[in-house]
Amino acid sequence: MAGASEEPRALLYRALDEHGDRLYAFALRMTRDPDLAADAVQEAFTTALRKFDTFRGESNVATWLHRIVYSKAVDLIRQRGKETPLPEDEEAILGPEDDRLARTPAWARPPDEILQGRQTREALEAAMKQLTPLQRAVFTLREVDGMSTEEVASVLGMEPGTVRVHLHRGRLRLRALLSEHFKGVPS
Amino acid sequence: MTCDCDDLGRRLTQLRDGCLEESDCAAIEKHLAECPSCGGLQRDFEDLARLCRESERPRMPPAVRRRIEEALK
Repeated sequence: MAGASEEPRALLYRALDEHGDRLYAFALRMTRDPDLAADAVQEAFTTALRKFDTFRGESNVATWLHRIVYSKAVDLIRQRGKETPLPEDEEAILGPEDDRLARTPAWARPPDEILQGRQTREALEAAMKQLTPLQRAVFTLREVDGMSTEEVASVLGMEPGTVRVHLHRGRLRLRALLSEHFKGVPS
Repeated sequence: MTCDCDDLGRRLTQLRDGCLEESDCAAIEKHLAECPSCGGLQRDFEDLARLCRESERPRMPPAVRRRIEEALK
């Protein structure tokens, strides 16, 4: 883990090497726009350099940078003004709509060549775009980046239990959205 | 799917995170083995996780990296 005592520029250069692709991919999934994603990541690094004294090494630098990228991406989404609900508007309690989604018929069991195929990857990307920004953030950090729920909670500034609600809802929506893709797949 | 299944569905993410009591885990695992609907939900979540782990991640374009390196100088 990089320490806060390391020289700020050196630490951020190293973070760019080690985590740049992850941060960019996260920003791209959040904003769904390459130009906005680039702006979010660049602004995150310049903010991190400017406010380096606020980084105390309590979380690792990757978590800290993800937190700033998330904040920048949400600001850009808000400025774009087309996407609802925004993260602060999302219901943090599971309800009947979530239960209804859970009743979506199970996928035909896809064989590996289907599950790992290009068409499935494209279907997943298309389905991810239909999630809300918060669901995309939670799902990407937890399932794609492999962060723990506690790390995701730290990035997003919420309780682990709340992360689980949004993660569950995101999983349900993706499962329902992908059910059409897997319909008729030989099992 | 019954009302009990609704409750179980809501707890699947807790189960996958390992934050349930051992006795709850055992009861849920038993239900998953016996209920085709809930078992299917669990397997779909596992396939979804696998699909995500194995999906390609977009890489940062070199021009963006250069902009950031300039900003850090």
